[in-house]
Amino acid sequence: MQSPVNWALLGLVIERPSYAYELAQRFERTYEGALSLSSTSHVYTALRALEDRGLVEEIPGSGTGRQPKPCYRATEGAVEHYQRWLVSQLAEERRRQRLFAMELAALMSDPGLARGVIDGYEQACVREGGDSPLRATNERSPDLGSRLANRLACEQNRLAVGARLEWVQYVRRELKALAERRAPAR
Amino acid sequence: MSLLELEAVGKRYGAPARERLVLSEVSLHLEAGELVVVWGLKGSGRSTLLRVAAGIEAPDSGTVRFEGRDLAEHGEDLLGGGVGYCERTFRYAEGERVLEQVTVGLLARGVPPRQARARAQRSLARVDAEQTAAQRLATLEDGESVRVAIARTLALEPALLVIDEPIRGVDLLERDGILALLRSLADEGIAVLASTSESTGLAGADRGLVISEGELRGAPPAELATVLPLRRPAGRRAAG
Repeated sequence: MQSPVNWALLGLVIERPSYAYELAQRFERTYEGALSLSSTSHVYTALRALEDRGLVEEIPGSGTGRQPKPCYRATEGAVEHYQRWLVSQLAEERRRQRLFAMELAALMSDPGLARGVIDGYEQACVREGGDSPLRATNERSPDLGSRLANRLACEQNRLAVGARLEWVQYVRRELKALAERRAPAR
Repeated sequence: MSLLELEAVGKRYGAPARERLVLSEVSLHLEAGELVVVWGLKGSGRSTLLRVAAGIEAPDSGTVRFEGRDLAEHGEDLLGGGVGYCERTFRYAEGERVLEQVTVGLLARGVPPRQARARAQRSLARVDAEQTAAQRLATLEDGESVRVAIARTLALEPALLVIDEPIRGVDLLERDGILALLRSLADEGIAVLASTSESTGLAGADRGLVISEGELRGAPPAELATVLPLRRPAGRRAAG
């Protein structure tokens, strides 16, 4: 299953069983700015996909009555699948970083061009670090889980900025060495 | 005229035969109420830049001006009052307890003891460390120790606070408290120049700069700004 929306919904169901409409509302609140639903019916499609894979199930008896409103819960094996998927995100980040390095390498025939990109990338990182909210100003949501998620995401991003900045220094050294190696031939 | 102006500052260390360039043509302007954080790895020139900006060290070339006055000529007069360089270490000979440490600089400048103590206590309250006043320095947590060091500098009422690595060694959950304190000092009108080797130290800054191999990099080239949209979120205060 590749859809980040499906996995995100599974996470919400693991957190606590919910009705589809309630899930759509929790989704909007929790993933605002990170993921979006194409429409409310997107939740039903996703729940069906999760049900087909045996990751969620209707709570028996919850979909009965005059206006049936089934409540969904995670199945026994769902948490393990969800954990494995979270860890696999690391590989996705590695793939993106590798792709960027490969794209940058296309400019290596002219180290000046590559340096220009690196300058811009470095500045984008520094600004991202500066714009990162401080803990004291990052506590708007009344929901404890959302506040913790915000803080975790914020800290991860701030640390990632540091890793990127260090990587930029490494790229600079490599570009400088490359320019020096090429200089005598000119 | 900016509050602090560094123009084409150069600094070298070492004997002539093995000289090492530490700062190369560094230019930087800082306004009142602005928080600028310089990120750099060990050996990048980060700490030297701060010491030169505060007038602790003289540059080999270029100029450093504070309120229009050359720090090379007026450094001694300006250090402490106008320019506050925040040392994170304490000299135990100046007192083993927090209040003594925060008071000593005021006494040295001729402030009567009672007034000096009152100002020191206000300064500790300003950094949320008033409860440490009677504590021995050795009993302070890392975060408290940074707050006390800042209080000691603030007691002298500087217009510019310079601090090297304010969050180094501070507990992970307490770092933001220190950064929020620096942010609030800038919001009150003090210019703050800080350095960091950790990217978390950039949070809350009006401007982040990078230093490596003695070169300070600031705003991106205009042509790249259009390629890489470097927007600030709405509602952020504009850089000064």
